[in-house]
Amino acid sequence: MANTDKQVSELIKREYEHGFVTEIEADTFEPGLNEDIIRRLSEIKGEPEFMLEWRLKAYRRWLEMDEPEWAHVHYPKIDYQALSYYSAPKKKEDMPQSLDEVDPELLRTYEKLGIPLHERAKLAGVAVDAVFDSVSVATTFKDKLAEAGVIFCPISEAVQKHPELIKKYLGSVVPQGDNYYAALNSAVFSDGSFVYIPKGVRCPLELSTYFRINAANTGQFERTLIVADAGSYVSYLEGCTAPMRDENQLHAAVVELVVLDDAQIKYSTVQNWYPGDENGKGGIYNFVTKRGACIGKNSKISWTQVETGSAITWKYPSCVLRGENSVGEFYSVALTHNYQQADTGTKMIHLGKNTKSTIISKGISAGRSSNAYRGLVKFGPGAEGARNFTQCDSLLIGDKCAAHTFPYIESQNKSAILEHEATTSKVSDEQMFLCRQRGIDPEQAVSMIVNGFCKEVFKELPMEFAVEAGKLLEVSLEGSVG
Amino acid sequence: MNPQATLSGAFLQSAGSTLPDALKTMRQQRATALADMPVPTRKTENWKYSSRHLQLDDSLAGTLVGGSSNTAFHNGDAYRVVIRNGQLDLDASELPDVSGVEVLAFRNLEDADAAQLAERLDNTLDSKAVQFARLNSARFEDGLLIRLAKNAVLDKPLFVFCENGGDKAGSAYPRIYVEAGQHSQLTLVEEYTSVGEAQALVNTVTEFSLADGANITSVRLTIEGQQTQHIGATAARLQANARFESHCVGFGGPLRRHDLRVCLEGKGAECKLNGVAVTQGQQHLDNHTVIEHVAPHCESEESYRNIAADKSHAVFNGRIHIHPDAQKSNANMSNKNLLLSTGAEIDTKPELEIYADDVKCAHGATVGQLDEESLFYLVSRGIDRKEAGTLLSMAFINELIEQIPVEPVRDAAHARLVRFIEQSFEGA
Repeated sequence: MANTDKQVSELIKREYEHGFVTEIEADTFEPGLNEDIIRRLSEIKGEPEFMLEWRLKAYRRWLEMDEPEWAHVHYPKIDYQALSYYSAPKKKEDMPQSLDEVDPELLRTYEKLGIPLHERAKLAGVAVDAVFDSVSVATTFKDKLAEAGVIFCPISEAVQKHPELIKKYLGSVVPQGDNYYAALNSAVFSDGSFVYIPKGVRCPLELSTYFRINAANTGQFERTLIVADAGSYVSYLEGCTAPMRDENQLHAAVVELVVLDDAQIKYSTVQNWYPGDENGKGGIYNFVTKRGACIGKNSKISWTQVETGSAITWKYPSCVLRGENSVGEFYSVALTHNYQQADTGTKMIHLGKNTKSTIISKGISAGRSSNAYRGLVKFGPGAEGARNFTQCDSLLIGDKCAAHTFPYIESQNKSAILEHEATTSKVSDEQMFLCRQRGIDPEQAVSMIVNGFCKEVFKELPMEFAVEAGKLLEVSLEGSVG
Repeated sequence: MNPQATLSGAFLQSAGSTLPDALKTMRQQRATALADMPVPTRKTENWKYSSRHLQLDDSLAGTLVGGSSNTAFHNGDAYRVVIRNGQLDLDASELPDVSGVEVLAFRNLEDADAAQLAERLDNTLDSKAVQFARLNSARFEDGLLIRLAKNAVLDKPLFVFCENGGDKAGSAYPRIYVEAGQHSQLTLVEEYTSVGEAQALVNTVTEFSLADGANITSVRLTIEGQQTQHIGATAARLQANARFESHCVGFGGPLRRHDLRVCLEGKGAECKLNGVAVTQGQQHLDNHTVIEHVAPHCESEESYRNIAADKSHAVFNGRIHIHPDAQKSNANMSNKNLLLSTGAEIDTKPELEIYADDVKCAHGATVGQLDEESLFYLVSRGIDRKEAGTLLSMAFINELIEQIPVEPVRDAAHARLVRFIEQSFEGA
């Protein structure tokens, strides 16, 4: 088993390097970033004037900013002028023509994860126009959504079709100058999703399902904006349990959620990008800004994330709880292995009365990895009767890994109540003994124990993903025992 | 992008002093190295919440002189050392005469001893992390050296009264170095007070070096006036099976900052750190602690409680760092905070940094207000709100105060805390 994992990683990596040496296609910009590049990018996308202005403003802010160094991660300095900021979707001739050409180990991994057959081809990057009947499925979904009045489209399309919504909400939660990576993203974002749920509508399906079939090649600077109007509800799943083939090393995405009165967004993420090989070479840098604003009364945002991929994860899904009685939730499992580094957590900013938040974070470090929880809970002076409960637990597997906790707590209101607790433990010998005594092999035993450790978070995931997430941990932990 | 302001050169001019040459040279070296010391700003992580309270006017750079010095120090049955504006006042002191225990002033050291001390000063401190300890090393004009020989036991607590203040604005740099031989024992009580009305900056460093099996209890009280900014650092380095216990009681001020760093370097070393901080009015108090578990089989236990009233601001930052080889470490940290009014602010950050797997580490933090029901219960029984509030607030911190092992200090601290907290409920 241990061997398999290694081979998979190696093979994935080989593919990955290959992606870099491909000859530059006609539709790829030369490396470098300046105002002209942004103008060209905006022109290619056929964006209206206001969007270009918005991008340029972000770019100018970005130039004045310093790259953040406070995170507990180490990596060589990124040369932003050496990156190319636009690349047209890959040509079909360069992709594997059928599943037969795809590395069999990768396919075996899919099998272990229980990925439906018709999705495997898509995930492996096979060049097919329609994978089995997904087009018809997608069309059915589209009709259903249209009927409910839900807008769900690429953000570049939304810029043209719904400029009033974009003008109103884009950057309202994560302003252009929010942080270094958010500014970069605002300047050069390639595409992403836009969701608008009208008043009182309960989105008829989990956008996760739709997304998985329609996962477009959104590129490295993804921008997502979800607006839930009064009384609406939507569940959105981003990412995929399957290891994604990806050509870009730096990912700087921005996700903004806007929730109005009595509305609710449930945002789930499963991230399993290429983590680098067992020596820590290669892998994706995932520097993401995710933030939701509970603007309305009784609104709610729930973030659930399972992070097992990427060489470096830098990500703090946050909630700004402005509306009275609004609720923020954050459930996270972050697993790091080999030389992976994760610095992740959440921010809960309580501004309104009786706002409540819950943070459950489970960090698992194995191999030589480093896993940090970094969080902020803030009660503003107006957060009368606000409440927070935080629990962050770390599990260490092996004696070369590291687990850290950096919780920031700021309270300016006496009636706000906060409880924070954190523990660190390892898979105990007693637990292992018990399992082994009953004939369970060590690898399975660890996976059982780890699954139990993460249960609180998995139960928040949409059902089918909870099952996959469990399997994903199992696959990711292979080779960490014995 | 903005170039960060560096510490004004005025702070690096040390006054002429009577120190032995070796210590003078050391000071000079530290001063040279400090030439580019950046002044902390909001962006300086470990000064994030406190930098805006920091006033480093050039007027504070000069050494404090004068101040009324006729305070009578009573401390019951104990030894006494008086340090005024960083200078030991041996006439006012009552030094122990116990075999194996030496209590010395830096300025009176023999050359060989001074050279040895110059080597050892700062060794317990990671000077980069505690910037202001470096400033003290560049500026101290005298200091207290306590040396305990192997198996030496000081029978009574040693009180160190640090009185700072002057007729004119300025700063003082009290310095204490304790070297505890194998299996020696000491209880040290530091009390910082203010005299005079002039603005003052008090920058202290106290270092403890504990050999195998040494046992030190340190009690630290800061009860200075509103004219005094206090930036202090305490550091302890423990060899095998040594034990260090610290009790800090801090009252708020324009700026109160204490850095406490304990390094468990030998197997089986253990430490216990208790702290109580109370603030009111516009006061500010900031406690930073770091516990380094370097060796395996060490234990640490930490508990800090803050009470912030009115518009005041209390900060706590505690870090437990378990090094890669420190297996079987056991570390616990708890930080509880009480907010008495909505204008007040509590900022806390209990950190864990863990590089070993076979360890037990936990931390907990809470922020809340007094329980309305308990308050109602007391008031319904005819106790007025002020008294009821004081009672409940004291109950919140008393658990830690009761653990202070020196009775007169415990009683005095308790009485002072009651008076202080009563004021917070004035007009309630």
